[in-house]
Amino acid sequence: MRTKLFGAALAASLSIAGFGYSASAADMGDVSEPIKLAMNEWTGQHITTKVAGAILERAGYTVEYVTAGYYPQMTAIRDNTISATLEIWSSNIGEHYSEALASGQAVHIGDLGLIPQETWFYNNAAAEACPGLPAWDALKECAKAFANAETFPNGRLLDYPADWGTSNVQRLEALSLPVTSVPAGSEGALVAEIQAAESSSEPLLVMFWSPHWVHASVELHMLGLPAYEDGCYEDASVGVNPDSTYDCDWLRGRIDKVAWVGMEDKWPAAFELLSAYQLSNEHQIPMMAAVDVDGKDIDEVVSAWVDANESVWRGWVDAATQ
Amino acid sequence: MAELQSKLQSAIADRIFLIWVAVIAATLVVTAIQPSAAWLIDYPKAWQIPLADVVNIGADWFIDSFKFIFRFLADVLEYPMRALQWVLHALPWAATLALFSAVAYFSSGWRLAAFTAAALFYMALTGYWNESMNTLALVGISVPGAIALGFALGVSGHASPRWRRTLMPILDLMQTVPAFAYLIPILLLFGFGPVVGMIASLIFATPAMVRNVLLGLDTIPETIVEAGRMCGASARQLFWRVKVPSAMHQFLIGVNQTTMAGLSMVIIAAIIGGFDDIGWEVLSQMRKARFGESLMSGLVIAFLAMVMDRISYGFADRSTGVSASHVPWWMQRRYWIGLIAVPAVFIALSFAFEWLASYPKDWIWDPAAWLNQLIKDFTRDYRGLTTSIKNNTLFFFMLPLKIGLQQTISPFSWGFEFTPVLKALYWALLAAVSAYAFVRRNWPIAVCFAIVGIVLFFGLTGLPWPTFIVAVGLIAWIAGGRNLAIFAVLSLLFVLTMGLWKPAMLSLYLVSVAILLCLVIGGTLGILAANNQWASWIIRPINDTLQTMPQFVFLIPILMVFQVGDFTALLAIIAYAIVPITRYTEHGIRQVSHDVVEAGRMMGCTKLQLLFQVQLPMAVPQILLGLNQTVLYGIGMLVIAALVGTTGLGQRIYIALSDADAGRGIVAGLAMALVAMIIDRILQGFSEQRKAALGLS
Repeated sequence: MRTKLFGAALAASLSIAGFGYSASAADMGDVSEPIKLAMNEWTGQHITTKVAGAILERAGYTVEYVTAGYYPQMTAIRDNTISATLEIWSSNIGEHYSEALASGQAVHIGDLGLIPQETWFYNNAAAEACPGLPAWDALKECAKAFANAETFPNGRLLDYPADWGTSNVQRLEALSLPVTSVPAGSEGALVAEIQAAESSSEPLLVMFWSPHWVHASVELHMLGLPAYEDGCYEDASVGVNPDSTYDCDWLRGRIDKVAWVGMEDKWPAAFELLSAYQLSNEHQIPMMAAVDVDGKDIDEVVSAWVDANESVWRGWVDAATQ
Repeated sequence: MAELQSKLQSAIADRIFLIWVAVIAATLVVTAIQPSAAWLIDYPKAWQIPLADVVNIGADWFIDSFKFIFRFLADVLEYPMRALQWVLHALPWAATLALFSAVAYFSSGWRLAAFTAAALFYMALTGYWNESMNTLALVGISVPGAIALGFALGVSGHASPRWRRTLMPILDLMQTVPAFAYLIPILLLFGFGPVVGMIASLIFATPAMVRNVLLGLDTIPETIVEAGRMCGASARQLFWRVKVPSAMHQFLIGVNQTTMAGLSMVIIAAIIGGFDDIGWEVLSQMRKARFGESLMSGLVIAFLAMVMDRISYGFADRSTGVSASHVPWWMQRRYWIGLIAVPAVFIALSFAFEWLASYPKDWIWDPAAWLNQLIKDFTRDYRGLTTSIKNNTLFFFMLPLKIGLQQTISPFSWGFEFTPVLKALYWALLAAVSAYAFVRRNWPIAVCFAIVGIVLFFGLTGLPWPTFIVAVGLIAWIAGGRNLAIFAVLSLLFVLTMGLWKPAMLSLYLVSVAILLCLVIGGTLGILAANNQWASWIIRPINDTLQTMPQFVFLIPILMVFQVGDFTALLAIIAYAIVPITRYTEHGIRQVSHDVVEAGRMMGCTKLQLLFQVQLPMAVPQILLGLNQTVLYGIGMLVIAALVGTTGLGQRIYIALSDADAGRGIVAGLAMALVAMIIDRILQGFSEQRKAALGLS
């Protein structure tokens, strides 16, 4: 009893001493109540979440995984129906995220360290049909290689669904490319077309992102759009076309971690651990391929990674708990 | 010549003809001056009414003020659901399977019991047992809830005609506003979790029960009620002892329809997440574009629906039986004894045999990879054929209706330029055909030709909205009189002022093409099934599967073969909406009285004559009802079709969903419901007229 009290006092004094530092040691909080982590719709997010969950468990917490839609989870995180969600793409979460932050019930706990790349991709058949690629202006010559009945004579860019908010219509106009944007409607539609184009060897130009598991089974190449410069979206004079905005590549997005605001009091150490948590592309992509391409069980893949990479995460646990 | 003169005179005397001529003339004039008056085609943004913003403000206030009531309700609903979920997971899978089979046996015998056992075994075999039980727990609470609520509303509507008049349009909205439009407000009100799905399925499934309760109570023969009164029954006795048993059969039909509707909505509501059920599984696989896995998990729902459908129909059929009082107690109670004994045996056995308790992982059968490869191979091997089917349908059928021949015809599509000379020729031909129809037949046919010709030339998106609204109002007037015309015009004005005209026309175009094809293909299949028992046996299970399979499952394979676009959406809509028209056509033809067919035969009709001059005309009211259902299914499917990249009202609803914009979602959903209701009422009106003409009503 005494030692416990002493430990708590020590932890408290340490956290006072360490005030202002992000990596100060903290109290464990209520370890009997499970920390609820959101499981969204895609494998990469499952891996991000399960790795974090496994680390939390090794630190002594109990974890529960809650199935949650990407948008609706932003409602759940306001009242600890979900305690944290760890892979929020700034590019496509839309209003739900800013509303949750504005409510004061959800807090941003740093970025994940995963670098998202959202831009135009093309497949091998396209590289053959249009040898000038990846230079973006090669599209001016060979747009027809990408045409179909609905876009002819223009080429076809399979675009993000309209509800994800895409600026490619402006971009195509700004770059004066003879290409029409065709919104896909859903992630499933994008993936299905990528796979269908691969199996029938048809050229495909698609707005897509990385990391994504499909890259493990289909070879996609990034198109070299004019690099993004600050102000390109707002200021016409910036970029390759002096009369137009959006005459550049997509702005690289950020991937955020978000927690319920009460988490810091309820599980201080877990809050710190999750704030410190990082998962980079080179760690996530092989795990994603193991699950989605090789068909391995996600829990086995994750626990194997956690065992093999103790050097990566041990520091976060120690900083948060000792 | 004299005949022509009299035709002209009578036509001119008909006010409706004159209005049509005016509408057609106005359309032509407007499209001619269109460059200088674009607002007649594209309704200006500045004239839109910002209703969505008002709805948002109202909804925010409502949610903030009354959230606590709904959160409490959510808790009340969640506890029994969690309890049921716990029980279903705790029970050995073999015991659950046995319990369902026993219920099926008591409902209608061995064959259904065997089917039920096979269906549930499928869930274990494919490794979806846990997800299936979660879905069952959801449905197990929401469907009885919908039945109870529907019963109460139906009875109250029967008791008070005034309340009934308010109730009916609400029911229509509950069934036609797509769930995606109100998922966000429900989510904010009830909080995140499986309760959202339950509420959505409650909203969608309750109307079927209300309608059947009303129908059941309305059609009780007066003599039965009178007899009850004569016996001195009190009002309460009269209701519970006389009216309810007499209408029980209809009530059970309602139970059946409510179950099916509830089950289909649970899938849609899974988009919210919060629960690891089959709906979530189907959606996740669809997002990964995995046809095999989504088909395997979708079949779980299809089987579940078929089992519940057959069981509840079985009970509905038995409900007219009379129980005898002289059989021993264990015979009377044999159902209950069986329902407890059979699972109990399996629970006991499961202690001895581990594999009866939880299905072993090693025994799971997963043909998904094989199915995925199948689709990929098909995509590769038949690319040329599928592309040419797609292009021809687009060029010669879909695009003319969408953007008109004036924009469709080009050297790339039709092989030649649509020159001014050709355009003049088109109009001359149209005028000649209409004039010919006028002279040889009557003016309505001539007007029909003119309208079709104009729509094909300009496309639905190129028609001026003022004349379009007047034309729909006129059709509504002819079909159902003044009130319907007013409803149609006001509804279209709503769509217009909300700034949803373009998306609504795009939706209308897609649905019209789909319905036309459904009518042709489904009608043919229905005729085939009515005249050939083999065809009927083959078509029925296909129809059952198409109707009960979560609609998301169809999207991926069609998409892989035909790519993102309207054609893929069209096929997805047809796959779902073709079912009712096929069924009703078969049913309608089979229902034609034998005497009439016999009379036709005696008069020396050939088989074809019998079909086209006796059977089909007599079946028209039924076929129109089927068409009506097909329209509603088709419009319902629009939202799902937006997942493969259609532009229209469905897309608007998704955009609102991702923007967390409850107001815009509800407004777009309402617009969709109104379009559906206009078409529904007009078709019903024509069906009634046709029935009256045949002397069937």
